[in-house]
Amino acid sequence: MRIVPSELYSDLLSNLQIDRQNVNQAVEEASSGQSVNTLSDNPLAAGQLVINRAQIADVDQFSYSINTVQGSLNTADSALNSVVSSLTQAVSVGTEAAGGTLTSTQLQALAQQIDQISQQAVGLANTTYQGNYVFAGTTVTTQPYVASSSSPSGIAYAGNNNTNSVEVGEGQTVTLGLPGSQIFNAPGADVFQSLTDLSNAIQSGNQNSIASGISEVQTSLNNVVAQRSLYGDTLQQLNSDSTNLSQETLTLQQFQTNLIGANEAQVATNLSQAQTTLQAAIAAASQVSQDSLLNYLK
Amino acid sequence: MGNLLGTLSIASQALEADQGALQVTSNNIANANTPGYSREVSVFEPEPVVTEGNVEFGQGVTLSQVQGIRDQVLELGLQQGLQQQGQTNSYLQSLTQVQSLFNEAQGVGLQGPLSNFFSSLQNLSTNPTNSSLRQAVISAGQTLASAFNQASSGLAQVQQGLNQGIPQTVDQINQLTQQIAQINGQIQQAQSSSADPNQLIDQRNQLIEQLSGLVGVDNISASDGSVTLTTTSGALLVSGQQSFALTTGNVSGNVDVFSQGSDITANLSGGTLGGYLQARASISSTQQGLDQLAYSLGSAINAQQEAGYDLNGNPATHEPFFNLPASGPSGAAAQISVALTDPSQVAASSDGTAGSNGNVLALANIENQTVVSGQTPTDYYSNFVATIGTEVQQSTNQQTAQNLVVQQLQNQKASVSGVSLDEESANLIQYQTAYSAAAQVVNIINQIARTAITLGQSG
Repeated sequence: MRIVPSELYSDLLSNLQIDRQNVNQAVEEASSGQSVNTLSDNPLAAGQLVINRAQIADVDQFSYSINTVQGSLNTADSALNSVVSSLTQAVSVGTEAAGGTLTSTQLQALAQQIDQISQQAVGLANTTYQGNYVFAGTTVTTQPYVASSSSPSGIAYAGNNNTNSVEVGEGQTVTLGLPGSQIFNAPGADVFQSLTDLSNAIQSGNQNSIASGISEVQTSLNNVVAQRSLYGDTLQQLNSDSTNLSQETLTLQQFQTNLIGANEAQVATNLSQAQTTLQAAIAAASQVSQDSLLNYLK
Repeated sequence: MGNLLGTLSIASQALEADQGALQVTSNNIANANTPGYSREVSVFEPEPVVTEGNVEFGQGVTLSQVQGIRDQVLELGLQQGLQQQGQTNSYLQSLTQVQSLFNEAQGVGLQGPLSNFFSSLQNLSTNPTNSSLRQAVISAGQTLASAFNQASSGLAQVQQGLNQGIPQTVDQINQLTQQIAQINGQIQQAQSSSADPNQLIDQRNQLIEQLSGLVGVDNISASDGSVTLTTTSGALLVSGQQSFALTTGNVSGNVDVFSQGSDITANLSGGTLGGYLQARASISSTQQGLDQLAYSLGSAINAQQEAGYDLNGNPATHEPFFNLPASGPSGAAAQISVALTDPSQVAASSDGTAGSNGNVLALANIENQTVVSGQTPTDYYSNFVATIGTEVQQSTNQQTAQNLVVQQLQNQKASVSGVSLDEESANLIQYQTAYSAAAQVVNIINQIARTAITLGQSG
């Protein structure tokens, strides 16, 4: 087969261009730290990258949400703690009033203590967190416990019975606490009713009423303690969720690195090889003989 | 019996023939680097014999033909290769532009804005009355809509470039077909006067190669030396001395190609023009995919938004989140925008109370619902992106392969038609020797003639 010089030159040129492209590719990988720099480098990896980054964003958001709701749950839990203390105090005041040995004045003083505890309890039931009432159900901009002459306890619940849930994991939600109606004025366990009744009983001095009042307060106290456990449990759950999410973030990021990251050692080797090939090609090209028979004709 | 004058004339004819051959060789050497030049070979033929009695006397040699060495089959193959190469090159160029609009490997594209939008909804669910969280939802929605708008406009710009490139390419094609038709005429003339139109044929082949790079052509040789060129679907481009210009016209917003009044766009392939048309179809389909995502996602968000209550407790029935085209997905990506103007309009509540987050939770959950052609938005977009990448990858591989094929064909062509300086130098020696020999014969005849003339003279 005839070989003419133009073939040789065009082959050399095209190989040099291919070599240069390979060097460029290796340099791009080395400088970006990624083996996938455009979609066409690895289309399947690029598609998976979209999903992976969406998952990472989701996990970050869940962590953030958990942080946010922990604040309000902690505030509510702490308020309930105080309510439990107050009600325990009320029981002890009631017990003091029982026994039938106290004077009217002393009884009045004790009744006043109960009234103060009741006011405290109302305040606690109206606890806010960042401007929202935490025991109002979903009507968080309206004070839940208000004075009302039409209510036998003098306090009416103005909230509703709904609660919010928040997503803290893939398909995983937690309920954000309870409506006040379940804690403070549940049927048969109304905190304010029980305190009003106890105060009245103490004022009256009637031993039976006082005993009955103490029992009522105790019942409402037990209810508060029982309902409060949800808050503690939820907070604990959120802590453990938070830890899991941190772990999941690491896993997802590792997956991403595997997907598109460049293996440093491999990249360095590729770059070195590509450069060597290019230099060899250039050297070969420069050595191609320009001789022909023409040079030797005399 | 021979005669001296006859012998002389044979020798002088030989000198002419060798001179001619030397000239051809010199022409080859001079054109060693001329693109498209086919080497010429001198064809010697003996002159017809003359019979005297029963002796045949040869009458010398004549340079009967200067033959251009070319392989028509190779040439046709090369033209085909150039057509495919041209198409792949221009197609790939456009696709690469499209790819850069969605280069998620570098964080460019829709995934970021999509995730941010859903995150902002999740955030709002933790505190539905918070006005800055509400504003953040609207902002994230605007960022998402912008991202759609920009991607869509990027695609439209590539389309525009294609629609501008098509008439320009058609102009170039028409210039070439005109020139080819002209040369057809010149070759017809040359052949009828039995001259060798080697240079013209080379020129014509060069032009057809250039044309092949621009559009797919079928090449049929006619007996009178002209070529008939048609597009691969049969539209006439050149016939004899006549060329038939292609024209362009606007059809439903796109530039279409017409041949003698009919629209041949659908069947055009090959060359840069074929690549532009292929790219245009591909981009149109990409635009549709993008529109589908914008429309389906936007509609799902709107439906859920309108099922909830705003901050003031009013049902959000006529307060859609996004503005979308009424007629359907077409144009959705270019037109999508946020319709809400006030943060309080975000329908977070599912029961009419300010603090309820039931509806915004449902809005956030659309991220996991198969609302876009049976897929979640993320899965749909992931496939969308992978499809573009695969198309570019395949075309790139095709380009590499086709470049090799074309190069090989060009090498083969050069092997047949290219000038080898070694060969020409050997020819120089050969013809020079023959010339010297013929000249020597002339010399000797001269001496003999002198002898013959002085034969009768004697001292």
